[in-house]
Amino acid sequence: MTIQGFLVVSILFSCLAATSYGVVTFSSLQENLIVSASPKLGQVLKAGEDNIIVTWSFNKSLAAGTDSSYKTVKLKLCYAPVSQQDRGWRKTKDDLNKDKTCQHNIVTKPYSSSNTTFTWTIERDVPTATYFIRAYVYNSADHEVAYGQTTDAHKTTNLFDVQAISGRHVSLDIASICFSAFSVVSLLGFFFLEKRKAKMSQAK
Amino acid sequence: MCPSRLHRQLFLSRRASPILLSTQLVVTIWKFETGQPSKNTVKFNMEGSYGAPESVQKRFALPVDSEHKATEFRLFSVAAPHMRAFHLSWVSFFACFVSTFAAPPLLPIIRDDLDLTATDIGNAGIAAVSGAVFARVVMGTACDLVGPRLASAALILITAPAVYCTAIANSAASFLLVRFFTGFSIATFVSTQFWMSSLFSSKVVGTANGVAGGWGNLGGGATQLIMPLVFSLIQNIGATKFTAWRIAFFIPALFQTLSAYAIFFLGQDLPDGNYSQLHKSGDKHKDSFSQIFRHAVTNYRGWILALTYGYCFGVELTIDNIIAQYFYDRFNVNLHTAGIIAASFGLSNIFSRPGGGILSDIMAKRYGMRGRLWALWILQTLGGIFCILLGRVGSLSVSIAVMIIFSVFVQAACGLTFGIVPFVSRRSLGIISGMTGGGGNVGAVLTQVIFFRGSRYSTETGITLMGVMILCCTLAIMLIYFPQWGGMFCGPSSKGTTEEDYYMGEWDSAEKERGIHMASMKFSENSRSERGKKVESAPTPANGTPNTYV
Repeated sequence: MTIQGFLVVSILFSCLAATSYGVVTFSSLQENLIVSASPKLGQVLKAGEDNIIVTWSFNKSLAAGTDSSYKTVKLKLCYAPVSQQDRGWRKTKDDLNKDKTCQHNIVTKPYSSSNTTFTWTIERDVPTATYFIRAYVYNSADHEVAYGQTTDAHKTTNLFDVQAISGRHVSLDIASICFSAFSVVSLLGFFFLEKRKAKMSQAK
Repeated sequence: MCPSRLHRQLFLSRRASPILLSTQLVVTIWKFETGQPSKNTVKFNMEGSYGAPESVQKRFALPVDSEHKATEFRLFSVAAPHMRAFHLSWVSFFACFVSTFAAPPLLPIIRDDLDLTATDIGNAGIAAVSGAVFARVVMGTACDLVGPRLASAALILITAPAVYCTAIANSAASFLLVRFFTGFSIATFVSTQFWMSSLFSSKVVGTANGVAGGWGNLGGGATQLIMPLVFSLIQNIGATKFTAWRIAFFIPALFQTLSAYAIFFLGQDLPDGNYSQLHKSGDKHKDSFSQIFRHAVTNYRGWILALTYGYCFGVELTIDNIIAQYFYDRFNVNLHTAGIIAASFGLSNIFSRPGGGILSDIMAKRYGMRGRLWALWILQTLGGIFCILLGRVGSLSVSIAVMIIFSVFVQAACGLTFGIVPFVSRRSLGIISGMTGGGGNVGAVLTQVIFFRGSRYSTETGITLMGVMILCCTLAIMLIYFPQWGGMFCGPSSKGTTEEDYYMGEWDSAEKERGIHMASMKFSENSRSERGKKVESAPTPANGTPNTYV
């Protein structure tokens, strides 16, 4: 009994220590928010053009005082597993300080337990990938305390695609080709000049 | 120019011992230049190389020897043709390095724009250094045939389109192709070393090669700072991320193009003129490719140096590609900090590679070629030891310190290697330089494929194993032996082989009869300084005619 008690105390103490040192793990968070978004499964949205409408609310079936410490909600665009493959810079880690799953911020709003909606135009620096949306809830010490996401625990449902802008412009294409052609033509000019110079010095 | 034509006619009629010929040369210049025997004297310095007569001296801003190669290296001068060519060659080589390694610092943005995986990025990195393997050998041949000025200007202009077209890449495949073709440009290394070896005498060739090579390699470090800066400037002007990085690539591309123009209009192949003029006037013989090639590939020293260069320069290229990610992943610094650390590895080139070249010349002054070989072996081995250490240290600050020490040794070894390369062959200098340079890139490709691809080894284990490989491959230096100077463990041949014997061995009797071996002849005389101070610098003729020297 005393050993079990000691174990419980030590676990509680280490959790306390972990949170007080700022190391929050994803597995310690409760999925207390319900989040939904407008894109349907497999829909392809264009960055810079299309909108996503996100709606979130507190899960009313939970006990009343659970959300007493909730202060702000941050919504993020997160990579689905298929877009994380062979890309170590998008790796999912349990330590939220090192986790790279959710790299694009949608919006930050103060917490309210009732339904909140936000319309977001997908920004132009969002890369081509498959995504879902997650909302993190922060307390007043700016630590994550809960979350909600549009997909299930295995991140397989409700995923949508975003098609990024290419960044290419017609003017850039033309400039590249012109300068390249100019380089090659100059080279031919050089050879011609060199031959002429040699002939002239021989004639001297 | 007249003096050399006269010499050629004179020598065609005689086949005498080197000393008699040299005496003829002295007398001829003396009589011809002034017509007044008492007015002119020939400088004969104590180290045993023949200086040029004063009237020839006046044509050049720097003191020159009988081949008109500069015997001093004045860093802050831009006098034509020697120092001007030096500045043109290092700046253009720097530009090529900036272009080749312009992508790594911007990868976090490029990988999102082009949807690259880690495998795509790794393959592009390998492609960037593998193109130059072949290009460096071709460059060596081109230098031997058309001269370094045209060869380097041509290569830089041919690869500039690849840099311009990086701005229009839109997939992993196109990204790999542009990095592959851009990587060809670092074959200008060969023309840099060839050009320096043609313009600077053996006393300062190590220094000239080391500074030119080192300050060029600097581009690999400078680009890690330049490209992010250019990118954020363009972003501030108003472009989005995915457009800004594309525009940013125009900067290295324009720099490259301008440097090619500068080389063409301001540079000169040899102290006496350009290859094309000298070919037409008959002063420079247009050599046959098959002969140059044969003499290069049959010289085992070229192959050994190619192997060992793969484990100093090849290691440097590998580290340029992987070190930012290593610090980012292992020590959790942010990408910006990782970039600065990566830059400092390349930036130490500003003094470490030139330092290697200078050390090579200092060792040669006292101990000759044997000193150059020992210095190379010692410093490259130390580089290997610090590489092993780098993979094993676990703290960030110690790791950075070890990395910087490692960079100094590895880059100095590169400088020391090219203190030896000019002496391996005179006729096939270009191809030997190209083989050695190409060997450097082969080392980079091999090392990245074996140790830094996929997840077989963690990066730190890969670095340690790379260090072990450096130690093993550096042992090959012990096999290098010059019969006229010796090797690491043996002295010069007891048969009394001279420099002339070694370099004249590259020409057959028919070619000697045509007199096209004269440049090698002059080089042999001037390379006597590689005997070091301990040996008397008294030239000994090979075919037994009595000593008659001034």
